[in-house]
Amino acid sequence: MLGQKLLPWDYGVRNLFRRPSRSALTLGGLTIVVLLVLVVVGFIRGLEKSLAATGNPNVVLVYALSSAADVENSSIAGRTPALLSASVDGVRRQHGVEYVSPELYLGTRITTANMPEPGMGLVRGVTTTAPLVRGQVQLAEGTWPQSGEVMVGRLAYSKLGADEQDLAIGQQITFDGQTWTISGRFTAAGSAFESEIWAPLTELQTVLKRQDLSLVAVAMDSPDRVADVDMFCRERVDLELKAVSESAYYASLQTHYKPVRMLGWVVVALVAGSGIFAGLNTMYGAVVGRTRELATLQALGFRRRAILLTLVQEATLLACAGALIACIIGLTFVDGAAVRFTMGAFMLTVDSVGISVACGVAALLGVVGALPPAIKAMQLPVVEAIKSI
Amino acid sequence: MSLVEVINVTKEYANGEESIRPLDEVSLSVEEGDFVSLMGASGSGKSTLLNLIAGIDLVTSGEIVVADTDITQLSRGKLADWRARHIGYIFQTHNLIPVLTAYENVELPLLLLPMSGAERRKRVEIAMAAVDLTSRASHYPRQMSGGQEQRVGIARAIVSNPTLVVADEPTGSLDDETTEQILQLLERVNNELGMTLLMVTHDADAGQRARRKIRLERGRLMENGKELHTAKIRTA
Repeated sequence: MLGQKLLPWDYGVRNLFRRPSRSALTLGGLTIVVLLVLVVVGFIRGLEKSLAATGNPNVVLVYALSSAADVENSSIAGRTPALLSASVDGVRRQHGVEYVSPELYLGTRITTANMPEPGMGLVRGVTTTAPLVRGQVQLAEGTWPQSGEVMVGRLAYSKLGADEQDLAIGQQITFDGQTWTISGRFTAAGSAFESEIWAPLTELQTVLKRQDLSLVAVAMDSPDRVADVDMFCRERVDLELKAVSESAYYASLQTHYKPVRMLGWVVVALVAGSGIFAGLNTMYGAVVGRTRELATLQALGFRRRAILLTLVQEATLLACAGALIACIIGLTFVDGAAVRFTMGAFMLTVDSVGISVACGVAALLGVVGALPPAIKAMQLPVVEAIKSI
Repeated sequence: MSLVEVINVTKEYANGEESIRPLDEVSLSVEEGDFVSLMGASGSGKSTLLNLIAGIDLVTSGEIVVADTDITQLSRGKLADWRARHIGYIFQTHNLIPVLTAYENVELPLLLLPMSGAERRKRVEIAMAAVDLTSRASHYPRQMSGGQEQRVGIARAIVSNPTLVVADEPTGSLDDETTEQILQLLERVNNELGMTLLMVTHDADAGQRARRKIRLERGRLMENGKELHTAKIRTA
């Protein structure tokens, strides 16, 4: 019965083509709003994904107790890996190799061939056990770095603010007074490692004139064994070590970036809100110009609800078209775009969550943008509205 | 019982601080099959009375009974349903929906009634043929002349075979030749289709085409120089 009393679907669709320039402008506005939402959600999702992908619950990070979880400031003895191997049970071992990765981690100014000014990059001195512990790290092209060589994460260029070609295999970069040749590129499943530059540990120690380490990453047989490392660090107070599971470490960073993420959602709300006001303005214009027509429909016997639904249908169709265009643009140009931040770099992620939020915002723009002007038009007495120009 | 009974109807509305009463306890009966013209000076309240009978305006007091239904007692939603079933409205400015073709405009009132698609098509074709516009069925209002638009408006008003067809200045925006065509068409609607017609006009010549000629003067309805009698208020 309700279906029979609704206005024809075509009526709403054809109204969109009635004033093509107005519809096109509205569509453009809605597309921009939804695209902005998609970019902000892509930023939040990319950041979350980067930090979440970095943490492995089986891996324990052991660093200096005094560094307050800032690994860059951590300095531990070079013998720590050997002590851990000898003292803690449950360290993962395969083919006689223990999954213990001694690492030196620092932020330093790096120059590429085409950069006029050095950029701030993240360098990790590693041994061949690093990829065993950091299982998500995959050599995408090139080779493992030998003497005088480094391998770069696929987003390292973004962190540096350099051109991607500047960090291609064979290119040279300079930091801490030494020039290094890029031997390979690696990926790390979207984790924070992708914005780093990895160099051979011993050579980096030599260049930096350091014998200490920043941290030791240890892969355990199971997450339950992480407590054993923690126990070791607590018992050996003389070593002044702290052990934290990698997932807990990055979870704390997630908390650290919570205000940023919250700000992102606030921006989403503000953008959506401004979009609704723009939509309201457009719909008021569209409805005011059709006052007599809407009154005629009422005079013929169409209920206000049916007319209201048609107006919402028109706005929602336009908003959905805007969402579709925005999603296509987003997936083509936004998804995967690298963004620099203090922890490194990450990629904007247009995923199902982002698309759902964008579509939700579009639907909201359609419905909320259309309802007030539609209700206002419906409140005008039919006899008055029917005389309007 | 008459088809339409207007009983002691008063319509009052505010215009700023001033209160205007275009209709002051007027009464009128219209028999089934009648063709009534309602004339009067501008602002005399003739369109107001038409709109009250058509159920698109609300009385201040009094009753309006159409085909045994006191429409003053209906809620807004019920009144809309009632209009769809019982009223065919012809507007002065045609009021066709610009994005719909002539055929679709005529079909519009039928979408509110329970009937099959085939029945709907048949009725629209008959109505289009009645106004001699079958060849223009696929044309949009902007592609038609004023007279053609008004004929589509008439087809839309009669397509659902309503209890009452009301026409508010149906020739008000047309030239003499087209006015004559429309008046002939309205006469056919009344004579051949047997529909009851209530037409508001300020054109004395057009008003003379109706069988009953009623004038609205100073809030009172006059017929043949006499005020129409006030009927008793119906009691439930």
